[in-house]
Amino acid sequence: MIEFKGVYKTYDSGIKALKDVNIHIDKGEFVFIVGASGAGKSTFLKLMMREEVPSAGEVIINDYKLSKLKRRQIPYLRRTMGIVFQDFRLINHMTVYDNVAFAMRVTGASNRDVRKRVPYILGLVGLQNKARSYPKELSGGEQQRVGLARALVNNPSMIIADEPTGNIDPELSYEIVELLTEINRRGTTVVMVTHEHDLVRMFHRRVIEISDGCVVSDTGVIPPEEEESAAPSLTVDDVLSDIGMSHSGREGGRL
Amino acid sequence: MRLGSLRYLIKEGFRNIWQNRFMAIASVGVLVSCLLLTGGAYMVFVNIDHMFDWVYGQNVVVAFAQPDATEEQTTALFAKLEALPNVESVDFISKEESLEKYKDSIPEATYEDMQGENNPMPDSFVVTFDDLTQFDDTVAQIQQIPEVEDVSYNADIASTLTNVRHIILVVGGWIIVMLLLVSLFIIANTIKLTVYNRRLEISIMKSVGATNAFVRIPFIIEGMVLGLVSAGVAYGILYFIYTKLSEMFHFGAMIRGLADFGEVWWIVLVGFLAIGILTGVTGSAISMRKYLKEEGGTAGVL
Repeated sequence: MIEFKGVYKTYDSGIKALKDVNIHIDKGEFVFIVGASGAGKSTFLKLMMREEVPSAGEVIINDYKLSKLKRRQIPYLRRTMGIVFQDFRLINHMTVYDNVAFAMRVTGASNRDVRKRVPYILGLVGLQNKARSYPKELSGGEQQRVGLARALVNNPSMIIADEPTGNIDPELSYEIVELLTEINRRGTTVVMVTHEHDLVRMFHRRVIEISDGCVVSDTGVIPPEEEESAAPSLTVDDVLSDIGMSHSGREGGRL
Repeated sequence: MRLGSLRYLIKEGFRNIWQNRFMAIASVGVLVSCLLLTGGAYMVFVNIDHMFDWVYGQNVVVAFAQPDATEEQTTALFAKLEALPNVESVDFISKEESLEKYKDSIPEATYEDMQGENNPMPDSFVVTFDDLTQFDDTVAQIQQIPEVEDVSYNADIASTLTNVRHIILVVGGWIIVMLLLVSLFIIANTIKLTVYNRRLEISIMKSVGATNAFVRIPFIIEGMVLGLVSAGVAYGILYFIYTKLSEMFHFGAMIRGLADFGEVWWIVLVGFLAIGILTGVTGSAISMRKYLKEEGGTAGVL
């Protein structure tokens, strides 16, 4: 659950990044946040991660009231969300496996849990055969899937993707968003920040547009029926087989 | 924190060292140099002190017994002198021995009428002190013993030496403190460089919810290991050089050479280990502070 109540953010430099932003995103939603660069999207993300604090108003994330959050509680807030970055943010001298595993170790997970969970998550994003590779040996799309696996590994209740397709080829972008859709189908809230309107149009989802620090349009929650009828012709099975995974035996979409 | 996590973090610390091995070698080099300078300054001080000890040893007080003292009185005086708190040793020199010495120094004179009962020399005691800063007090105490007729001493040398030694102690202490601060500064900067190189890693760790302790521990381990290694290397080098120097300055038993390394080895080793670990860990902590304050996540990197 994400809630912005009358949020203002003015930086020390005097730039008014957000002006009276009111947004409510329920658990399990899939939301695109769109807007030109400089519109306030990154400030929006930074406020969610409690990297910045609002100048006025309140931000509530997964039952954490961020204005009341103590500095040492910030890590625990961040563990409830998985973050995917435009530039992947992978550690180059670590293998794919270790890149995903260390996000788990950060939470104090035991070796046994790490050994069980990491291969499973890598399988989920179709990278089971790349566990021993290094990020530099992978394509952009594959690197972003590692980023996605890392965001997912701690089983967060929401995924925040900051321009996740910004650095990869358009055809692979589609695949990444499909993966996010699949993750959302399993009940995880997904917030994806992007400026690629084509991609947004392809997936008929709730869209919140930010311009000049204000929410200028919000399609509201798209009802499931509409979502179904508006969905592209591809099915989950198609997508997962596209990326080298069989979906058979996993009916109902809950993994 | 779980034991498994701690083990992981310690492993990370060692992996970091290997990952940044050139920086690690540079850090060790710098810290070894600083430790050697500090250790060298300390050894110079030890040797000055050693020399002073020797000079002090020459600076004795002679207490003369009353000329008509009986043997019992002389024995009692010996015991009283030995019982004084600041007295290190007492040597008895009988009137006969004194006369012999006197004869040796002036052989031309005739001594026939000075034998036995007519010996003009009194029994005397050569007294050395533990602590020369209390020189005057102890001399006064000796003078108050009724069996003592007179005390011969040179107060000026004692007080001058005590003053010089005090100055050297203070100056030497400050030099060592300054060298330590320089070492700390250099180590903090070296580690700051490695932290800078790992900014991305730290920001990723923070964005996935790492606590400050989790980020910090590998760096602390790294600082500690580098400190330990530097201490070991510096100790080895200092030992080697000092032993060689001692051999060069050894001119036989009569002439005083350098102070014995065996008497101070544990001070040097413990000092090096303490300084090494302390500068390593403090250096890590100082250089990390800025990066831990940044709230991580998407901030500032790349």
